[in-house]
Amino acid sequence: MTAPAAIVVQDLTRRFGTFTAVDRVGFEVGRGEIFGYLGANGAGKSTTIRMLCGLLAPTEGDAIVAGHRISTSPEQVKRSIGYMSQRFSLYPELTVRHNLEFFGGAYGMSGSSLRQGIASVLEQVDLVSQVDQSTGQLPGGMRQRVALACAILHKPGIIFLDEPTAGVDPVARRRFWALIRSLAASGTVFVTTHYMDEAEYCDRVGLMVAGRLPALDTPAGLKTRFVPGRIWVVRGPGLRGEDARARLLALPGAVEVQTLGAGLRVRVAAQAPTDAAAIQAALSGPVSIDEDEATLEDVFLAVVDANAQAAGASRAFGGAT
Amino acid sequence: MAATPATPGQPAIQIRDLVRRFGDLTALHGISLDVHPGEIYGLVGPDGAGKTTTIRIIAGLMDADQGSVVVLGLAPDDPRVRESVGMMPQRYSLYGDLSVGENLDFFRQLFCLPRAQARQRIQRLLALTRLSPFVDRRADDLSGGMYKKLALACALLHEPRVLLLDEPTNGVDPVSRRELWTLLDEFVAEGMAVLVSTPYMDEAERCHRVGLLHCGRLIAQGVPATLVHDLDHPVFVVEGGDRAVLQELVEAAPEVQAASPAGARLRVVVKPGATAALRERLAGVDAHLEPTRASFEDVFVARIGALEEAAA
Amino acid sequence: MRARRFLIRVWALAHKESLHIRRDPLTLYLGLLLPLIMALLFGFGISFDIDHIPLAVADLDRSPQSRALVQDFVAAQEFEYRADLLDPDRAIRLMASDRATAVLTIPQGYARSLDRGETAVVGLQIDASDPNTAQQALARADIMAQVATARIAAEAGLLEKGSGGLPLSARTWTRFNPAARSALFLVPGVTAYVLALVAVLLTSLAVAREWERGSMEQLFATPVGRLEIVIGKLLPYLAMGCVQVLLVMTASAWVFDLPFRGSLVLLAFASLLFMLGMLGQGLLISVITRNQMVATQTSMLSAMLPSMLLSGFMFPIDNMPLFLRVISHLVPARYYIAILRGVLLKGNGVAELWGQVAMLALFALVMIAVSTVRFTRKLA
Repeated sequence: MTAPAAIVVQDLTRRFGTFTAVDRVGFEVGRGEIFGYLGANGAGKSTTIRMLCGLLAPTEGDAIVAGHRISTSPEQVKRSIGYMSQRFSLYPELTVRHNLEFFGGAYGMSGSSLRQGIASVLEQVDLVSQVDQSTGQLPGGMRQRVALACAILHKPGIIFLDEPTAGVDPVARRRFWALIRSLAASGTVFVTTHYMDEAEYCDRVGLMVAGRLPALDTPAGLKTRFVPGRIWVVRGPGLRGEDARARLLALPGAVEVQTLGAGLRVRVAAQAPTDAAAIQAALSGPVSIDEDEATLEDVFLAVVDANAQAAGASRAFGGAT
Repeated sequence: MAATPATPGQPAIQIRDLVRRFGDLTALHGISLDVHPGEIYGLVGPDGAGKTTTIRIIAGLMDADQGSVVVLGLAPDDPRVRESVGMMPQRYSLYGDLSVGENLDFFRQLFCLPRAQARQRIQRLLALTRLSPFVDRRADDLSGGMYKKLALACALLHEPRVLLLDEPTNGVDPVSRRELWTLLDEFVAEGMAVLVSTPYMDEAERCHRVGLLHCGRLIAQGVPATLVHDLDHPVFVVEGGDRAVLQELVEAAPEVQAASPAGARLRVVVKPGATAALRERLAGVDAHLEPTRASFEDVFVARIGALEEAAA
Repeated sequence: MRARRFLIRVWALAHKESLHIRRDPLTLYLGLLLPLIMALLFGFGISFDIDHIPLAVADLDRSPQSRALVQDFVAAQEFEYRADLLDPDRAIRLMASDRATAVLTIPQGYARSLDRGETAVVGLQIDASDPNTAQQALARADIMAQVATARIAAEAGLLEKGSGGLPLSARTWTRFNPAARSALFLVPGVTAYVLALVAVLLTSLAVAREWERGSMEQLFATPVGRLEIVIGKLLPYLAMGCVQVLLVMTASAWVFDLPFRGSLVLLAFASLLFMLGMLGQGLLISVITRNQMVATQTSMLSAMLPSMLLSGFMFPIDNMPLFLRVISHLVPARYYIAILRGVLLKGNGVAELWGQVAMLALFALVMIAVSTVRFTRKLA
């Protein structure tokens, strides 16, 4: 990276008592990048974000966000970033304009700079005609965009989006992501989400497990590394029950079999000879076989599995938060 | 005691033309669907589409303004139905100050299950949900995923024939989410009828059949693979060209139903029969179309687009 | 079979509720400690017994006899000597500035009148801007005057003449509360008031919490019936209420020397009915409001004010305007206070109090019935 990175994280660690929530995490996010940050509940995701936003001091290690050290200048960090969460606290009874004025004021904007800022940000999120509507009356997708407008009003170089699209309909979500893309043209976007398909929109994705960051790459890179091989979806009658499942698992190189509604999804290791014909042969009766792509959910599960095995597999899933 | 004998082939849940209004707002505009034993029916849609209202009406927690609901051959608020229906509400609805074990025991008593018989079931459910080590933990101290699994265990305790799940995987991480689905698969294989709602489009393919709910209307219904297969909108990834230029061009192109980022590239859902025109348009900026697999979300987007156009 | 299931479910609900109670310090405090603290605070604090009434004296006689009279007034500490006035006309100013509540004027020639065996006239002016204090001051002054008269008569050797009495025949009796201690009169009122308030609050919160937390939705999805929920909710709080009654009564008996003259069985039964009624009222409130905050406020308004103002606790019902008197018939605390006073102070039994007991039973029945009917098993 030639330009200095927007976010540089080095050995970032945070302990609460004896519990290490974030354990020597390090990564860089380049300018103009959309960086996805995933992890199970309690994996240390929110703790990391709170530290990067200057809301929580690290126990060890440090990070430079928008040119400021979070350990020594958290206030500057807070001023140079934008933050928006699913629970973003808009005032529903206020109009879009009044919400923007309030949040602009909170960042010390006033007068003509505030007015111009509001005008340009409304244009950006395409809410010019809704400016005098009360925020609570807008549909979810629009509210989300008002929240985004409030977060970028003070022209931060970096925006943190914490589950920004939860519950929003797919059309509005796609629109929102197109918007995020255009924001990334002039700044950096750091985003967390529970929608695995949404993580595909990111340039790179980091995956936290138990306080560490064992996986960090482009979505395609993650899939190649953690979910190698081919995936087949088998559909047809007579697949119900353990028998079909067992037969598929017995195929050479079969790694796992999942139930998908009335069908089965089987993953086969990279060099294994098992192909569609072999699957057809293993099952009696007519079935349809389609090749499927790995998803980031597959990656997520593979990373968590690998981590659990490495850790002696003793930690129960979804354990202590 | 438990409800009626199920006639083979008879749906466990049968809904016809369900309408429900809240004041001026019509939450459901005539929904009809069937859920059969041994089937997971997915009600897929965003917030506010009417998923929770539908489930609450089936559970007998709300009345419909019009239309009919028959659950196991009876009206949904018939006390006999409740013996055979399990329900997991979307909101946190267990007792946070009670432990995992106490919550389970409370629901065991409400269903009047004998202790000895219930003990086995509880053991099995605790094992399946991997909650056994946490029996004495207060429900409030569980993580989101564990809490949902406990709620599911409470809903399954009386071995219902119909299971209603309102967004069981919302806010749950992928690991717990897959565990929940694996659990469901197990019970459905035993013949349970499951109606599950979800805002996650990618969960649709885990259901035997799905209904796409949008603004109180079912805009599509069927087997997920078939719905994707039958999508008349081709889906492509745009290769080459300058990204910023492309973005503007694609957003303005009348041939494009919806565009979304795919990594650094753009993904487009094209209107039926408009592929050639779009190819031509893109050729002007040195970009071309690469076919890609349609997703379930593409189906949703295409249907909403078609509806909006029909309305306009 | 159905009855068995009913009992199992009621038990399950009651057991669950008791777990909530045990784990929630606020409920425990609200249910057990608060009534005790309130009863004691009220017992001491709102005592209507007035001591240390500021007294100014305009002693124009300045004789040993006049000084002895002043001494009689202040000796029992019911009046407190504050100022000596040479000019009786300043009395009004002193009272206006709240420096004295009573002014005793002893005219010149008081000693002479006594010596001559004539009736001596002294004046007492009382600030009646607070009628209650004025009443009490007046009563005290009356007693003091009698004490003084007896002393003077004794000194004059009137008693020794064996004529069988004082020259004054004004004698008063106070019945039931011989020392006229207002604590005895107040404790039943305080008890009813505190129990009413706490009982209504407890159940109204208990049910509203279930709505707010979303657990009602889960509950409605089970075969549990509304009567089962109502009874299951009431039982643990009723048990708690019984403990409250015991605590408050025991503490009052101990601290305020409350006598128990009548039937304890009747008292226990009436307390049970009263608690049931108030718990039922709380239940009704939360069934209707479904919201803890609104439930709290409604409870306060509907339980606190009537129990305090319309129950005969603070103000005698007989002195109320007709409209309020009619309303007071709907306030269960009214009957409970009557029963408490009757049993504790007068030694009354069923013969005198059955009407009140019947009213309590009716109130409880109506509250629980209406709660059950209003308790629709629907979310909207």
